[in-house]
Amino acid sequence: MYIDVRGKKAYAATGGKEFDPTLPTVMFVHGSGLDHRSWALQTRWFAYNGYSVLAPDLPGHSLSEGDALESIEEMGAWLADFIRAAGVDSVHAVGHSQGFLDLLETARLSPELLKSITGVGTAGAIPVNPALIDAARNSAGDAAEMLLMWGFGPDAQYGISAVPGMQPIAIGRQIMASNPLYEDLVACASYENGSAVAQSIEIPAQLILARKDRLTPVRAGMAFAEELNARVSVIERYGHMLPIEAPRQTLQKLRELIGGLEKAAQEKG
Amino acid sequence: MSRSSYLKPDTVALHSGYVPESDHGSRAVPVYQTTSYVFESVSEGSSLFNVEQGGHIYSRITNPTVAVLEQRIAALEGGSGAICTASGMSALFTTFITLCSAGDHLVSATQIYGSTATLLKHTIKRLGIDCTFVPINDEQALRDAIQDNTKMVFCESIVNPGLEIANIPGISAIAHEVGIPLVVDATFATPTLCRPIDHGADVVVHSVTKWMGGHGVAIGGAIVDGGQFDWNKSGRFPELTEPYAPFHGIRFWEEFGPSALVMKMRAESMRDVGAAMSPHNAFLILQGIETLNLRMKQHVGNAVKLLEWLQQQEAVTWTNYPAMESNPSHQLAATLFPDGAGSMLCFGVVGGRAGGAAFIDSLQLASNLANVGDARTLVLHPGSTTHSRLTVDDMKAAGISEDMIRVSVGIEDIADIKADFKRGFSAAQRVGEAA
Repeated sequence: MYIDVRGKKAYAATGGKEFDPTLPTVMFVHGSGLDHRSWALQTRWFAYNGYSVLAPDLPGHSLSEGDALESIEEMGAWLADFIRAAGVDSVHAVGHSQGFLDLLETARLSPELLKSITGVGTAGAIPVNPALIDAARNSAGDAAEMLLMWGFGPDAQYGISAVPGMQPIAIGRQIMASNPLYEDLVACASYENGSAVAQSIEIPAQLILARKDRLTPVRAGMAFAEELNARVSVIERYGHMLPIEAPRQTLQKLRELIGGLEKAAQEKG
Repeated sequence: MSRSSYLKPDTVALHSGYVPESDHGSRAVPVYQTTSYVFESVSEGSSLFNVEQGGHIYSRITNPTVAVLEQRIAALEGGSGAICTASGMSALFTTFITLCSAGDHLVSATQIYGSTATLLKHTIKRLGIDCTFVPINDEQALRDAIQDNTKMVFCESIVNPGLEIANIPGISAIAHEVGIPLVVDATFATPTLCRPIDHGADVVVHSVTKWMGGHGVAIGGAIVDGGQFDWNKSGRFPELTEPYAPFHGIRFWEEFGPSALVMKMRAESMRDVGAAMSPHNAFLILQGIETLNLRMKQHVGNAVKLLEWLQQQEAVTWTNYPAMESNPSHQLAATLFPDGAGSMLCFGVVGGRAGGAAFIDSLQLASNLANVGDARTLVLHPGSTTHSRLTVDDMKAAGISEDMIRVSVGIEDIADIKADFKRGFSAAQRVGEAA
């Protein structure tokens, strides 16, 4: 569906069902250069199991209008406006890689909008190699090649796919090469608020990390989980692109946290 | 390296789509000879049916062995995904009926495989889908043939049996100008020699029965989604961009983007038409693909050597191979097929139709049969077999003459192939002299 945010049309996937703001809502935020399709194998489950789903494309990405936002702080503020524009009071928020940094900023600005925050394949800061930024400045396609070579774990490099018949590297390449990857990478490289935000928020949090992650190594995620006082899971044998590479395991961890919090809220009345 | 994999093609052919499975560590891809798959719970079954998670339900839709082959072919071609089908013809039919509905139209090259011509001219016409045929690489004719309801352009990368080369970059540019995809049958080329997606094609179709399998033991087809075509921007494909009622109103483009087409084919055609590849055939074709690149080098090398030798034979009246200067598309062959333009060649023999028959009937090593792309050398007289349903005019338009001998050059020792053909030429010459 499309939502008007700051006068521009923002696309949000709803998991294949009509969005119902009266249901508990889970919001999924994609990583650098990606879009809502990163979450294809999580959003439909939530949408068909008692939740409403919002998986927006950030401005300038895939199906959303507008120019790319230039900083993580701006993205976090935009997400707060997006949640309000969707007409929901608060959401369980899930972010992959850069998407989690965006959510840290949303949490800093408007903690009342977030019931929980989950980071997938991420850390409190995501340094980016200057050579990658240079490549992205010249060609999103070339930078996508570099990112995907490092981003996908060994199984995906050998053509293994959670969806029979698919090749995730080609799908990721196609999406990234058409999106403002350069702006996203610059925003990631510049972001330094992670630790400060971690100490200032009291939202239930978890990190789902990948043992073979070469972009946000597991040790960086573990260290940040401690700062954030977050529950943490490490999924073996997969790489940075966890929502695509290990969709079942990622979904299971999301169901455990979000389902547990919703159940507790219902019991509390 | 292709758009789908950072491994080199020789490695992709051996490894992509499979790592030794956890239960038994089988190094070879196992044959999952099963119709169906046990759900862990009612909830899991429901989520599989609703595409909430990936996995297998029923082997008409997906099968683990077939999926390895699909992922391997997608990686070889540089596609976002692939579907394997029961045959090359079912791959074509699936592609045509996924992209076109009653009232739609497509444009095809005139020079195509005889059964494909029949499918386009007669079978899908009964379903209300019209086709206009234009000479391959005639850009003006292609532009003139495109209508408001045209949904795709179709050609073969190496034409069967005329052996012209499709100008894939040129044809795709014209198709893309008006927002329609180019579908290329790349059976004669294989991804070893040319990857059409790299040159602008949007969908690639194969009869994997041929060189991909390579041993003449299993029938199968494949459809590769290039993932680059913007179905939404085109505005001609509501089947992919608007809610699809039989699947909870799913919008394939919104949900799956670069894999929208292959997901639609899986959800609709494999479910409703059911032209599924058997797991055992997938296994056999996988064995062939493991040596595809090695075989193609030998196929192409033998084809070139045989061509040069044929050109010196008195009994040979003409020869045709895509890289020959007399072939109108030889420059395209040099550009699009730098490692060789396949292993098919055609020639005429003295004695016309009777001479051709005598040639074929006297061969011992080469087999006279209706297949190509076997490791063994195969010969055929198209005018009396594969293209016999065509009228004389249609045969001419398809580049076929009555004296044409089609050769699928195998990987035997070239000296033995020449010796066999020499025997055939003696027979043809006797017929010619008698006439």
